[in-house]
Amino acid sequence: MSDPNVLVLASLADGDKHGYAMMDDIERFAGVRLGPGTLYGAIARLEQRGWIRPVKSADDRRQPYTLSAEGRRYLEEQLSDLSQIVSTGLKRLRHA
Amino acid sequence: MRRLARCFARLYPRRWRARYGREFDALLEDVNLTWRDVFGVALSALGEKYMSDPEVVPRIVNLASRDIPHGYELETAVEYPRGDGSTMLVRAFCREVDLGDSYVTLNHNTRGSEPAQTILVFGRKGKVDGDFRTDETEMLVLRPDGSVHRTEQTVKTWLKYDGLRDRLRDRYRTGMQAGQTPDQIRQQIEEEGTLQSWS
Repeated sequence: MSDPNVLVLASLADGDKHGYAMMDDIERFAGVRLGPGTLYGAIARLEQRGWIRPVKSADDRRQPYTLSAEGRRYLEEQLSDLSQIVSTGLKRLRHA
Repeated sequence: MRRLARCFARLYPRRWRARYGREFDALLEDVNLTWRDVFGVALSALGEKYMSDPEVVPRIVNLASRDIPHGYELETAVEYPRGDGSTMLVRAFCREVDLGDSYVTLNHNTRGSEPAQTILVFGRKGKVDGDFRTDETEMLVLRPDGSVHRTEQTVKTWLKYDGLRDRLRDRYRTGMQAGQTPDQIRQQIEEEGTLQSWS
């Protein structure tokens, strides 16, 4: 799983974060290091689709983002699909 | 390394820099950059630059607005360009009722071939701070599978989003009052770049 869009959404699922906090979080839970260009490419796409929104911050340069209801729904769908693939793959490996 | 990344970051289109430039520069300051990151910034900036060709801007296919008691209805159909050259049609119907210290919003929209989704929000307006307002909201999301998801939450509303909708409504109303046709109004909005700055 290395889709930057899903990684960013998954990172925001447990709370609002700014860019650096997202990079750090994604590296911890997924073992994937998103570079600044890739991360902001994903942030811009997700904001355009209405799946994340900027939220107010005391630091106007380190802008935190939050997951929208639509973004949460999309993430749920993606993770559910992924979970089905993982479970099918594991079952097949056991029976191989 | 940081200096080089900043140089490449200037390759992002002006519109992108205006929206994300400050926060992106802050991220470049926070991160221990590698050569791969610097290369990634250059690649991403060039991608944004060539994908945001000025010829390829959102196109308003349909726009209509009606005044209703305490608010208005707005219908839009906008064709958004995608990176692969195809387009995605986003149809939206919005009914805004402003009750002073509270509001009711009904949004019904479809993106491309995805099933339609309806969101009903009842909100109590909170404190305004800059471009944001903190509201207490109750939201019902009517999902395409027939289920209803209900949430109560405190949300920070980004007022600029509402501002865009208000601008479209005002532009439509003044245009109609001045005797313009809906086509002329749509064309003028596109020429003004109202949607482009938000795409």
